[in-house]
Amino acid sequence: MTATSDLTTGAERPAFLSRFRPRGAVWLAAPAVLVLVVALAYPLAIVVVRSFTDPVPGIDNYIWFFQSAVNRTVLQRTFVVAAWVTLVSLICAYPYAYAMTIVGKNVRLVLILCVLVPFWLSGVVRTLAWVILLQDSGVINSFLRGLGLSPVKLIRTPPGVIIGMTQVLLPFMILPIYSVMKGIDTRLLQAARSLGAKPWRAFLQIYVPLSLPGVYAGAIIVFILSLGFYITPALLGGPRSILLSSLVQNQVLSLLNWGRGGAMGVVLLVATFVLLAIAAPLMRQKHTSTRREA
Amino acid sequence: MKNFARAFALTMTCALALPAFAQEKPVAGEVKEGSLKGKTLTFVSYGGIYQDGQVAALQDFVTKSGVTLLNDGPTEIAKLKAQVDAGNVTWDVVDTADLPPYVHCGTLFQKLDLSKLDVSKIPPNQVGECSVPAMNYGVVLMYKNETYKDNPPKNWVDFFDTEKFPGSRAIDGSGDPTGGLIEQAFKAAGGDPKAMTADDIEKGIQKLRDLGPDTIYWKTGAESQQLAESGEADMVMMWTGRAMTAVKNGAQYTPVWQDWLVVMDQMTIPVGVKDTDAAYALLNAYLGARSQEILTEKTSYTPINLDAKPKVDDVTAAFLTSTPERIAQGYQQNIPFWVKNFDLAAEKWNALLSGN
Repeated sequence: MTATSDLTTGAERPAFLSRFRPRGAVWLAAPAVLVLVVALAYPLAIVVVRSFTDPVPGIDNYIWFFQSAVNRTVLQRTFVVAAWVTLVSLICAYPYAYAMTIVGKNVRLVLILCVLVPFWLSGVVRTLAWVILLQDSGVINSFLRGLGLSPVKLIRTPPGVIIGMTQVLLPFMILPIYSVMKGIDTRLLQAARSLGAKPWRAFLQIYVPLSLPGVYAGAIIVFILSLGFYITPALLGGPRSILLSSLVQNQVLSLLNWGRGGAMGVVLLVATFVLLAIAAPLMRQKHTSTRREA
Repeated sequence: MKNFARAFALTMTCALALPAFAQEKPVAGEVKEGSLKGKTLTFVSYGGIYQDGQVAALQDFVTKSGVTLLNDGPTEIAKLKAQVDAGNVTWDVVDTADLPPYVHCGTLFQKLDLSKLDVSKIPPNQVGECSVPAMNYGVVLMYKNETYKDNPPKNWVDFFDTEKFPGSRAIDGSGDPTGGLIEQAFKAAGGDPKAMTADDIEKGIQKLRDLGPDTIYWKTGAESQQLAESGEADMVMMWTGRAMTAVKNGAQYTPVWQDWLVVMDQMTIPVGVKDTDAAYALLNAYLGARSQEILTEKTSYTPINLDAKPKVDDVTAAFLTSTPERIAQGYQQNIPFWVKNFDLAAEKWNALLSGN
């Protein structure tokens, strides 16, 4: 918090830098903007145009999408699974990120490595490892059988998919939360304690609200990435956990219905925007109100 | 006048016939020394051991013709469509799955001029209007020895009979629907696959749905192999190459050869390639007996030249599908039917695979 206010006042900014600021700042973003336009905006525009023109102009592709029960079910399922993955990731990530802020330097290094190492492995490899763990004849069920317990059905069920996706996406939840948490001034907690708050109350009323920006950032990233997941649900899921991206892939790669594939993408994109538009004011409101209280 | 007409006709006949005589009839596997010097061909296939084997099979062609052979892949019909739409086709010869050359014949793939190829040694009924086979393989039913012991399933009808043969099933859910499997499912439901109509596709799919929620739809060949090697499923629908590897790796499963489904990869020339004749030369060389022997020895897929005598080990030989016995047991799907109903079948198949 203090760091940001220093920057915005510009008190310590050297004079020569502020002279260059207006134009320089814009041009610094140029490479990224160029990449975004070429690699995102242009292809996206083509997808949108195609969804209204291929094979014939009109909204046939959208009518087809919403008339098909398969599409509707899978679209709904995609959002439900994404919500679950976000929730489970949050439950795992929050205490982990908190632990990272309170341990010593060396332990923190180990914890950070544990988060980052999975980033260096391909998603396919990690997913296949989950197959070996979760399958009926896999490690977990062999262990349960060894203990004389009845095996549980994990692979090819939605919980199996959620477990696998959570593991892949966990770093995207941990890192934003951690980066916010490490900026929280823990003296605020001490202050609360000195004013008579019990530890859990100080934590819930002071610490948690201050960490919410990280939670929101992590939740949005994980939720949106989940919506586009393809390999993990395909390998860990059964027919009842196929997500929309698999259906898009079918239309685009095997049936060559690029218009329909485009329409599916546009529907997913618009649905995501709508959801974010609903969520954004809620987040902002909470955030500012807690700030006022703090 | 009559004489003139006769003379004219005779001259024309000679004029037309001459180039035909001058042009040698192509022989599979042969190419003229140095005939493609300075030219470049891009060959596209599915990568891995398979494409390596194909390149090895084409090595002699490359050396003799002097062509520069580039490799690309994996084959994606969507990418090819993009090239054809843009009028810039860089893929000269493309290895595809079973049906695309029939579905997109004339639009994405050239109709083949069979006077430029020697197709005499290809097994019967495998040359399409737009394709020649790239290799053969099969889809077999593999059952777990431990589960069925003395009373194993004998055909696909048993595969669909969950009362007499309880146990989990694993099915190829890697891509397009397997027409042959739906035909067998329809047969198990009491229908006659030979008289199948578009409405019957749903009946076949329903029979698959009736196998229950425990049915596994594997997404990759590697996954099917893993299912067998770990003993995860009691009956697995498998590609012969994967079945063979699983058995070599110790999977205690036995193949059922009755009505094994005949499958092939296809070799095609896309519409709009820059040098069609060079592409034909590659295809013709690929079809040769020696090339096909090399292909089988490197990949263990079945050769598509009847004269090929590859040297392979016993397990590999047991899974080759070109012996007279295997040819007699094989089941060939109704290609025209599935080409005609491709979109409908794909739609129903996708519904099945997404749990609907």
